Amino acid sequence: MYIELHARSAFSFLEGASVPEELVQVCAERGMPAMALLDRDGVYGSPRFHGAAKKHSLRAHVGAEVTSVAEWRYPLLVESRAGYQNLCRLLTQMKLRAKKGEGKIRAEEMAEMSGGLICLTGGQEGPLVHALTEGGIERGLKSVEQLCRTFGRENVYVELQRHFCREEEARNQAAVQIARRLKLPLLATNGVSFACPQQREVLDVFTCIRRHQTLSTAGRLLSANSERRFKAHEEMSQLFFDLPEALANTEILSSRLQFTLNDLGYQFPVYPVPNGESQMHFLRQRTLDGMIHNYGSENERARQQIDRELALIEKLDLAGYFLIVWDIVRFCREQNILVQGRGSAANSAVCYSLGITAVDPVGMDLLFERFLSEERGEWPDIDLDLPSGDQRERAIQYVYERYGKRGAAMTANVITYRRRSAAREIGKALELDPETIDRLTALVGSWEYKDPSDTLERHFRDAGLDLQHRRIRKFLELCHAVQDLPRHLGQHSGGMVVCQGQLDSVVPLEPAAMAGRVVVQWDKEDCADMGIVKIDLLGLGMMAVLEESLETIRKCHGDEIDLGHLPQEDSAVYTALQNADTVGMFQIESRAQMSCLPRLQPRCFYDIVVQVAIIRPGPIVGNMVHPYLKRRQDREPPEYFHPSLEPILKRTLGVPLFQEQLLRMAMIAAGFTGGEAEELRRAMGFKRSEARMKEIEVKLRRGMTAKGIIGETQEQIVQSITSFALYGFPESHAASFALIAYASAWLKCHYLAAFTAAMLNHQPMGFYRPATLVKDAQRHGLKFKPIDVTRSEWECRLEKISEKFAVRVGMRYIKGLRQETALEIVRQRGIHSFRSIEDLKQRVPEIQKHELTALAEAGALNFLSNQRGFHRRDALWQVERAARRPGPLLEIPEATPSTDRVGCGSPATEPSPLRRMSDEERLVADFRGTGITVGPHPMAYRRAEMKKLGIRTAIDLTKLPDGTHVQVAGAVIARQRPGTAKGFVFLSLEDETGIANAILTPQLFAQDHTTVVHNQFLLIEGTLQNQENAVSVKAQRIKPLMISRAETPSHDFH
Amino acid sequence: MAFASIFVPNFLLQAVVRAEPALHECGLALIDQSPPLSRVVAIDETAAQMGVEIGMTKTDAEQFAGVKIRPRSPAQEKAAHAALLDIGWSISPRIEDTAQDAIVLVISGLTSLMGVEKEIGARLIERLTACGLRGNVAIASNIDTALIVARGFAGVTVISPGEESQYLSRLSVRALSPPDETAEILDRWGVETCADLARLPILDLSERLGQEGVGLHILARGAFARSLVIAEPAHSFEEEMELDEAVEELEPLSFLLGRLLDQLCARLTARSLGAAALRVRFELQPSFENAVDIQEAFRTQKQPGLYDKQIQLPVPVRDSKMLLKLLRLRLQRNPPDAPIQKITLAADAARPRTIEGNLFLPSILDPEKLELTIARIAHVVGEGNVGSPSLTDTYRPGDFQMRRFRIPQETFRTNGVRPMANERADSRMSAGFRVFRPAVPATLAFDRGCPTHVAFQGLRGDVSAAAGPWRTSGDWWREDPWEQEEWDLEIHFQETADRRDRLSFDGFHPHRGIYRLYYDSLRRGWFVRGVYD
Repeated sequence: MYIELHARSAFSFLEGASVPEELVQVCAERGMPAMALLDRDGVYGSPRFHGAAKKHSLRAHVGAEVTSVAEWRYPLLVESRAGYQNLCRLLTQMKLRAKKGEGKIRAEEMAEMSGGLICLTGGQEGPLVHALTEGGIERGLKSVEQLCRTFGRENVYVELQRHFCREEEARNQAAVQIARRLKLPLLATNGVSFACPQQREVLDVFTCIRRHQTLSTAGRLLSANSERRFKAHEEMSQLFFDLPEALANTEILSSRLQFTLNDLGYQFPVYPVPNGESQMHFLRQRTLDGMIHNYGSENERARQQIDRELALIEKLDLAGYFLIVWDIVRFCREQNILVQGRGSAANSAVCYSLGITAVDPVGMDLLFERFLSEERGEWPDIDLDLPSGDQRERAIQYVYERYGKRGAAMTANVITYRRRSAAREIGKALELDPETIDRLTALVGSWEYKDPSDTLERHFRDAGLDLQHRRIRKFLELCHAVQDLPRHLGQHSGGMVVCQGQLDSVVPLEPAAMAGRVVVQWDKEDCADMGIVKIDLLGLGMMAVLEESLETIRKCHGDEIDLGHLPQEDSAVYTALQNADTVGMFQIESRAQMSCLPRLQPRCFYDIVVQVAIIRPGPIVGNMVHPYLKRRQDREPPEYFHPSLEPILKRTLGVPLFQEQLLRMAMIAAGFTGGEAEELRRAMGFKRSEARMKEIEVKLRRGMTAKGIIGETQEQIVQSITSFALYGFPESHAASFALIAYASAWLKCHYLAAFTAAMLNHQPMGFYRPATLVKDAQRHGLKFKPIDVTRSEWECRLEKISEKFAVRVGMRYIKGLRQETALEIVRQRGIHSFRSIEDLKQRVPEIQKHELTALAEAGALNFLSNQRGFHRRDALWQVERAARRPGPLLEIPEATPSTDRVGCGSPATEPSPLRRMSDEERLVADFRGTGITVGPHPMAYRRAEMKKLGIRTAIDLTKLPDGTHVQVAGAVIARQRPGTAKGFVFLSLEDETGIANAILTPQLFAQDHTTVVHNQFLLIEGTLQNQENAVSVKAQRIKPLMISRAETPSHDFH
Repeated sequence: MAFASIFVPNFLLQAVVRAEPALHECGLALIDQSPPLSRVVAIDETAAQMGVEIGMTKTDAEQFAGVKIRPRSPAQEKAAHAALLDIGWSISPRIEDTAQDAIVLVISGLTSLMGVEKEIGARLIERLTACGLRGNVAIASNIDTALIVARGFAGVTVISPGEESQYLSRLSVRALSPPDETAEILDRWGVETCADLARLPILDLSERLGQEGVGLHILARGAFARSLVIAEPAHSFEEEMELDEAVEELEPLSFLLGRLLDQLCARLTARSLGAAALRVRFELQPSFENAVDIQEAFRTQKQPGLYDKQIQLPVPVRDSKMLLKLLRLRLQRNPPDAPIQKITLAADAARPRTIEGNLFLPSILDPEKLELTIARIAHVVGEGNVGSPSLTDTYRPGDFQMRRFRIPQETFRTNGVRPMANERADSRMSAGFRVFRPAVPATLAFDRGCPTHVAFQGLRGDVSAAAGPWRTSGDWWREDPWEQEEWDLEIHFQETADRRDRLSFDGFHPHRGIYRLYYDSLRRGWFVRGVYD
């Protein structure tokens, strides 16, 4: 039986055209028992290959093609675990010393780490072909002898490939001669690069992308034919009818390759505990300390839960893991880095006691099994939220330091082709002109919702492209074909893996694009599949906002705020939430959240947990939102799918909102075991889940039928569970987020200035653009001071004005101004203040003309002059002079003190002959130069006209009864077409009084598509819908409005 | 001195309308055709009112009922521009070819001949209209004021000396065509009109915008005085002859061509230049044979057929006789398919070749003569079948291209050692292979996947040895992909009486030979590609 031992997948990054699953699929279909994957310089695809092979009961051999310094590649197969470890170390060694995506192995390194590896002589890129081309058969002979010395005679196979090419056959004959002379075994392979012949076109395009060519210019770099497809035993035995031993040897070699990824040998590191204590004892002590702090010593329920958890942790030997996470949290606390655990860890009372999470799972009755179960046999998953930016980086670097450069690494993120990237690169390969490519790239994949006619074909026709044209047709086919194929390796945003001993003997490491970072070759799902423990150190913008707010409050107000002990039932917070006054608040600020809040009327913390969880695609598609809201308002009684489910669904009034509830439902209604429930959970969260969900659905139905739950009830339960495949929150996760949401709301209600300044300093984040945040804060009474080079810093800061704090906008908002320039301005003015624009230019010589212009245009230089009424145009006038270098005769020598230079022959602060900017011009300049305005809203200037036309303000709408015919106008600040809304489009219009929401039917959107998408100001006419204070306008007519030329920003969910 | 400027607004569109006046009455959008994407580059007022915008795709524009779409026509633009120049020259010998859509001419001294300036302007408008163009005319005492005002005001505008700034003041500063960077600065300053700019102190402006600012300031005041850049039509080295009676025969045509070439070469000689390329363009008499009715015939007549060829020359030439010979050879090979009613000859001018002879080197073939020889060969074998064959970088079997034959620039190596004729980088021996073009259809018989008998061109033979198959396929993105399976077969032919006669493609007639045959999967047939020597 022939076994394919030399195949590449798309994880050879542009050198293979099939994903590992496709290769396994064809292998299984042809009834072949095993296969080897040898990707270029890595084992990137091995976990997926291994997983797919396991499903089909195939043996997945591991290997790689490793590039030598002479540019040819060693095709290596792993025989044993030692061989795998050597391969990982080899790959790590060559990768870590080179630039990202490069690396070559030296002969002496290969000799040193060749144990357990089998080397083939290779195909087109192998050492033998290289030697034969260089110096004929003699050179070839020497090259193979060298391989024998490196790997041992018994570990070298002379490889033969037959792709119906003349040159290849000539080389094969030489290879056979060499094998006979050296008495080495022959081995037939097909050097597979794709699973089926049609994928050759994808490979050709990949070749063009890799070699920076087009299909017309690539010439013989492209494939000569389609023979590098997967071939079964029958085809290969016909091809090698004259050399049957080459075929037979594949089976013999396959049986030698005992290693699979089941035998990875991964161990989580041991936490170094003091005084010779055991890890478990140490963990127990830390947990009990925390328990007393959190629950007091009398809480029996908590004690029992903790004992139960600790017993399981001990049984599963996970004490080290908990201690390592605790250690990271401890480091963060010591360094004043805000940290909070989320995800399923919030279900654990041990995590709560250790300070890893902030949610009380005992008080909230959370399901511990969701976090850890004996059956599952996999590592628990703890995610830590950290402030984004430098603080998170400090935590990451701590982990590197603690476990060594080869003991810890980030998980990878495999970047795959999406519509836009595919269109761009394929367009280039097919030589479409750049303009067409740009147009196509912009067109494909714009809005989140895709209606049935929203196909690539339609986009092409819209772009004026002729689908009858063969090249265009091929473009379309290829765009489809490359979707989801790996493009290159990126870095996961926060997933870290650590290992006892050398991580590089478990998985190869690579340098990341970011300096000082190392990544493993597998993504987080692959790591989880391979049983490697992962700790997510996630950067959360809101954590950074909270951290900065606390710091500002401490500095300016002198108040010490402990987020862990905020007043729990703060009426200001709940009033704001009930009124949907939530701009800037974490997770509850989106338009959809705002329309739900007045109906849900949150009154306690658990309501916020529900609020965070309910506006998710899972509950929305599962039609769970409206029943819940009705039951909450006592407009209908709670109903349960089945009486047995009442205990699970009682607190969400019979409506399943959280993942845990779904899992429990499966356990009770369908008799799922904990492990099966976990399988269900993973299918729900897993991106490749559709097939899994189908399998699980069958199991669910079977289980329910066995328990007598049939008919409509069964359908309802299945519907609720499968909708969650579209995404829903676990309760613990929602609770963790709700804590942050509450904290952000509390800070906004009580320390608006500090909170807003911090929000402005951490953009982009959240749902709204800074312009909207500023306007919202102004409506809440906060004063903003404009950017001023004599006062502003890089960041936005608070300034005290008559006992109240205002926000001084930071120079970071000047578009095009470099941070180092701004910092130098601040430093120089600290020495002594600037006297004029020329003075500023001379003392901050690195300032560039465009930066000065940007500052002047935004009004930041207005305060450099003592002249009354010195305006932006005066500054622009001066800037143009200051920025122009004088000729050598007039240039002031460097040595001249800057104070002497001031005003040297130039009336630097004299007014200009230019007229002052009008309100409209100022608005245009503000939005163009800073993206925000601290002056009036553009709509405010036109209110009188609007009033005459009968156009209502946003605030007016809240006072009108349901069904009123209204006209409303404003700047579009958000356009949404969510995937769950069946083509409806949601617009948020902002005016000086607030935000008005409008709903567009798919028909209206199709009719007025251009108006909606391309205009900044819109007038919407329609019927007012006021449902329990959730106000929106159901649009009937849309008109563009010319309010201002200012480019007001909008957050469009494309 | 008085200057008149003629400006043709929306020139691209007008150039097309000029050839199809019926388009005046409807909405029109012009598209720049660069498939697969076509965009609107110009629109008329009606189309604009209907909502068509510049930059739209053709598909978008097509959605507006009532808007006609036409492709942009560089030829018509050129003709329209030539007409614009002609209008200028019809009045004054001193004209400046300022832009594709604008010219300036000196009209001083014409008042006694043509009336006052207003009348001259009106006459220019009249002539424009007669040429199928609509435009504006401005008359001023300086060139740039005339140009700017013509772009800014419709109809005829006469500006008396001293009134320049008054007219200019209402125009946008963009009318002065400032560089983009300066335009941005002016925009930031809120300087919108020429009057705004003229009000700025010139010294301050100079400190900020340098001489460029000063220049714009003077322009804005209408005070910029410069000399006219007199247009020299001879730069194009184009000769044209419209014939009263269409010519059909080569002999009379040669006579006319000879005359034109003499003129062209004389002009080139006077400028010490030669022709690096010669372009011959004939407007052909339209054929009425297929016209449905007389209206159709007239419509066709407006768009005569064209015969357009270019002859590349190895070195710049100004020998009219040699050029005529080349032209005759080309015309013999590719005669125009209708009588000629207009001849245009244009030369790309270049410095002529100068060669200093070398006493110690053998003289090489004169490039002019070589070109003539190649042209003669091409006349016999067909264009594209003469030159140096070279392989293309592809797996497509037998693919090659003919490169233009050239005498190597560097005949000898720098060290003076002459390369051996047979010196090659690859000194290994390789078998010769004769390719049959076109390939010969064949029939094959197989036994267990291996060819056993072959028949082609009446020959039959047994296969005594076979190597293959070798598979190639490619160019799958093109209209002409290929997919073939090749075999090398040693064939023993059976002797037949007429074998010798049938082997017309083969110079020798062995009893056996090694042939390369292939199966073309797309044409579904077997063919003989060639034979090994």
